[in-house]
Amino acid sequence: MRELVPDQQGMILVLMFVVGNTLLYSLGGLAGADIWLAFLIAMGAALPMVLLLARIRSLLHGTSLGAGLEGIIGKWPARLLALLYAGHSWRLACYVVSDVTNFVQAVALPTTPQVVLATLFALLMLWAAKEGVEVMARFAVLMSKIVFGVLAVIFLLLLSEVDLAEFQPVMYGGLKPVVQGALQLLYFPFLEPVILVWVFDCFSTKNSPYKVFVPGFLLAALTLMIMASASLSVVGAHRYAQFFFPVWTAVGRINVAAFLTRLEAIVGISFAIGSFIKMAVCLLAASKALAYAFGFSDYRFVVTPLAMGVIPGSQWFITTVLEVERSATATHSVSEIALQVVAPVVVWMIAEIRTRGSAEKGKQGNARRAQAGGGGATSNKS
Amino acid sequence: MVAVVILAYVAVAAFELWQWKERPWKKVLLYLVLSAAAGTLAVLIILDNDLKVPEPIGFVQKLFKRLWQGGGGS
Repeated sequence: MRELVPDQQGMILVLMFVVGNTLLYSLGGLAGADIWLAFLIAMGAALPMVLLLARIRSLLHGTSLGAGLEGIIGKWPARLLALLYAGHSWRLACYVVSDVTNFVQAVALPTTPQVVLATLFALLMLWAAKEGVEVMARFAVLMSKIVFGVLAVIFLLLLSEVDLAEFQPVMYGGLKPVVQGALQLLYFPFLEPVILVWVFDCFSTKNSPYKVFVPGFLLAALTLMIMASASLSVVGAHRYAQFFFPVWTAVGRINVAAFLTRLEAIVGISFAIGSFIKMAVCLLAASKALAYAFGFSDYRFVVTPLAMGVIPGSQWFITTVLEVERSATATHSVSEIALQVVAPVVVWMIAEIRTRGSAEKGKQGNARRAQAGGGGATSNKS
Repeated sequence: MVAVVILAYVAVAAFELWQWKERPWKKVLLYLVLSAAAGTLAVLIILDNDLKVPEPIGFVQKLFKRLWQGGGGS
């Protein structure tokens, strides 16, 4: 059964996926005081990729991604590609679970084993993935009101602590740190929406992928830029890159008349909600891609073993909070570049060539039919 | 601990398979393979806390790093 998500709900799902577990980390920390510039460069660099993903889905309108890929690159290459994306999505789900469990252990439950939290999150995302993308999108819409409401209030309260001098001097270290910061942002989280292509079965109209991916991505990037810049101006450019969770630290400094303090727990809840949506989306993408790779139309039966694999996987890829921070602030990874940039570009080029070829064939066929029809009419007349 | 983990994975897999209305062998086979892989990973993590993550294209990563740092000449 194909699941249809309305454009607005899809857009919110993209927004929540990108914001997801990224909120607390020192995003683009290498850029230092020029973090806003790094964000703008990364947004400019990632936008063509997001447009490209939307274009691929638009070209394959009316078919599921698997069926569409089969049509343009062939059955076995499409299945191999699906297998690679299944592995990529499952690994990202492991990373997200690991991020949350390490965060909770670091700030709230130091004596609770991570595997307990990982099991609880695995159960939750298993449930969400089995319900499907429609339910997940509706849940994302509901939760976005809480998450963005909290972020708006936090941002307003942070304004009392903001020191705009932290952004000066502009580009003191030259262009290199800015570019490095932008690369960090591209690696995590701006190029991750490629996974979402596997989540949506179909869209309402041919233009829907653009309405879903582009505003969702831009709003998420803008939110992250505002929160990261505000946090940097509160904690300082040097400390921003040093802290594991700079936003957490910045929010901890809010003090309204010695009455409204210790608000960081609210940010922690927003982080947990965003992370949950992201890990559920990753599990759903992994399940759909894996089921397609093995030739099954139904994906729900592989959700449980994949979720059970996420529990040890989250302890395998990342073991400490230092590794979490390192993975969140890396600038590049060959496997990620291959799956987030190279593969989509290759698929897009083949899809464009194939669809143009078939459109031209269709036009030629129509012209021949028209000629034959005209000829028939003349012969009938004669 | 290993026995408990294996038992947990077997119990979850058995319970879910029992819940299925139909059990086509292809689906059952894939389900069992994936469950076994997940269980094996869980056991390996228990036995070796620092289990290495395989890097099938690790050599490309190393080459990329060398070029990035400007030491690709040698």
